[in-house]
Amino acid sequence: MKKLLLILLLLLNVTVMASAKGLSAEQKIYASVLGALYGESRVKLWCDDEKKAEMLSLLNNIALTKDKSDADILFVFHSLDLESDKPKFVGSYALLKHYKNDVIGGFYWQKGRPNLLFLRSNLKKQHLEVGAALEKFVEDSF
Amino acid sequence: MKFIIKVYIALFITILLSIVYLYKSLYQTETSLNKNMEALFVAQAREIASNISQHLHSHIHHDAYLELKAQPKLRENMEHSLMTVITDCYKYVYVLYRDKAGNYRFLLDGSKTDKGEFGEKFSVMSPKWDEVYKSQKSAIIYQDKLDTLWVTYLEPFIIDGRTEAIIAIDFSVGFPKNVKAATEPMRDILIYIFVLIGLLLLILLYQTILNYKTKKESFIDPLTQVYNRHYLREFLDSINNDSYQLIMFDIDYFKKVNDHYGHDAGDYILKEVANLIKNEIRLDDVLVRFGGEEFLVFIKKEKKNADVVIHIAERIRYNLEKEEFSFNDMKIFLTLSAGIALHLEHFTSIHEAIKHADNMLYIAKREGRNRVVYSKSDTYKHLNIREINDIKEAIETDNLFCEFQPIYNVRSKKIAKYEALVRLRDNDGGVVYPKEFLETIAHTAVYRDMTKAILNSVFETIKQESVYISLNLNFSDILDDNIFELIIDELTSHSSIAEWLTIELLEYEPLDENRIVKKRLEEIKRYGVKIAIDDFGSGYANYDIFNFVPVDIIKIDALLIKKIDKSELSYSIVKSIATLAKELNVEVVAEFVASKEILDIIEELDITYAQGFYLAKPQEEILHDDNTV
Repeated sequence: MKKLLLILLLLLNVTVMASAKGLSAEQKIYASVLGALYGESRVKLWCDDEKKAEMLSLLNNIALTKDKSDADILFVFHSLDLESDKPKFVGSYALLKHYKNDVIGGFYWQKGRPNLLFLRSNLKKQHLEVGAALEKFVEDSF
Repeated sequence: MKFIIKVYIALFITILLSIVYLYKSLYQTETSLNKNMEALFVAQAREIASNISQHLHSHIHHDAYLELKAQPKLRENMEHSLMTVITDCYKYVYVLYRDKAGNYRFLLDGSKTDKGEFGEKFSVMSPKWDEVYKSQKSAIIYQDKLDTLWVTYLEPFIIDGRTEAIIAIDFSVGFPKNVKAATEPMRDILIYIFVLIGLLLLILLYQTILNYKTKKESFIDPLTQVYNRHYLREFLDSINNDSYQLIMFDIDYFKKVNDHYGHDAGDYILKEVANLIKNEIRLDDVLVRFGGEEFLVFIKKEKKNADVVIHIAERIRYNLEKEEFSFNDMKIFLTLSAGIALHLEHFTSIHEAIKHADNMLYIAKREGRNRVVYSKSDTYKHLNIREINDIKEAIETDNLFCEFQPIYNVRSKKIAKYEALVRLRDNDGGVVYPKEFLETIAHTAVYRDMTKAILNSVFETIKQESVYISLNLNFSDILDDNIFELIIDELTSHSSIAEWLTIELLEYEPLDENRIVKKRLEEIKRYGVKIAIDDFGSGYANYDIFNFVPVDIIKIDALLIKKIDKSELSYSIVKSIATLAKELNVEVVAEFVASKEILDIIEELDITYAQGFYLAKPQEEILHDDNTV
């Protein structure tokens, strides 16, 4: 009986560990975005949301930074008054509209569905490309 | 135990199937409920979409995108209208158009939350949208990959045969979740019941195994690790007599092992013998330690080989004889005797079969040990003979008695002696003759008791009547250690009158151990007892008998005497026997003298003694000479 309980506990533990190691759908999208933009190189990332920052820190080749000027890309979820020439990637349609002149793209949930979008003109300004896999998400105009 | 396990398995399977059935029924009910509710909601959504379509048609006439782009107020009004159909079930209601690049963008959105702006791109995540656009037919998308949505209903908005847009209604996941939430406790209850029943069954199984183990331990002989008599009792209750044959083994001279080598050696031998037997029998066979050094083996019958039991018994006997037992550097050699009951079904009870095997074992012992003895017919239950217990009871209640038939001196016509003939009186007062009971008690303790009682009775009569009496015994009685010992004890006790006794030996048994017979008869003769050979001239009649039996008297076979007046051959044989007897200085008795003619011939042949119904019948009282012929 004790052995059975131990096996059950072990299985439960492994399941929990596995789910902790596994990436969520949102993480996978961020990983695809960063992979498409920067390839295998290590990316310094600034984020204005603590929870999202924690989530992003779990991705490979990501280094979080608190200094915007030191970052390769800014992940913006709240800030409306951000002034930086660093590439911005936003977390809502409203922010996408707000930073439409320099934002390279955004990812947000709408009506339960994931929405990913890049702006070609701003990508060009930052000399970035998303590659063939994400090309279908690139908008010529906003 | 096997039956209980079967019941447990049946019970477990029944419960398992019931739970599975209930679980499946619950799942089907849930699915059916979902489907019905889905059909209901879809029907409602279709009506709503149709109303929206009509509403759009009343304001849009050619190009939905251009007309709505140009009229923000109209968009606002129409979105207010869409908002009115939003409920807990219909979470989002919106209208999308497809741009030239194939992307879907908002025209109108009546959603209260997560509202899309005019022209905003929307990831629809399903090819069904394109299908609806193309086919102009409504469709349903099941949103299995989305956490918050259940179903999306799509209705094309068509103007002049062109699909201008798609009206979409997203159903909240709330309803199926509620249905699931409502049935979940029932599902949980079923699981709990199942787990509880499973636990109960496990506990019961554990208890049963414990009981079985305890019971099994009480059935095992701690020394030899084979079944004991407790088990035998249980086993005998359940045994089918047709299924088994029986061997009873006894280790020869086991007492000597204990006496010479000590009890530890005895215990060691018992363990080793049990192991040896165990190794020679099959899984279906049952080995029981029946007594001190006695083992019973129930051999599962084989249809094709009725003699399997004999082969097994012989193999065990042979292997044990070849075995060299070593105990504390001492080499011990042993033999086994075995008695077999071949057909248990011939016996009224299994206990009778065991008695039979015991009797066969007794014969094996008496015939010199280290042998397997069986009777092909397992005879004595087929003959209409007395039960051994009746005979035992008759002996114990003094219903065993002798009749005495006078033996006359032919010349003097006077009674010379008497032949004691054993009889039993049954409960009805009837007389039972030896033929009816001797075979039953042969080789049993009852036979020994009977012999002792008869010897006592004969000596008592000799003492009272001062007459010569002859008593019948078998050659096997002389060879039997127990009976011989008894005879010697009785002769010693009555040594002063022992010379009045004649022992008549029936010669119908073959004699393989002549030297022992001769030696023992000579010992008997030392008490003055005379030895007579009964039924001489019949069966195994062999003149060689004079070489090993110290014969004083021969009694000519009744069949020869019976025909002496009619058969020349019988006459010649009797005459030659009489001549031989004279030569050997042996007295002759003619039995079965049934007429005056026979008596005259006997007299003519100069035979000394005669007995028979013509002369006198056997009777309980001693007949005296005043009743001479």
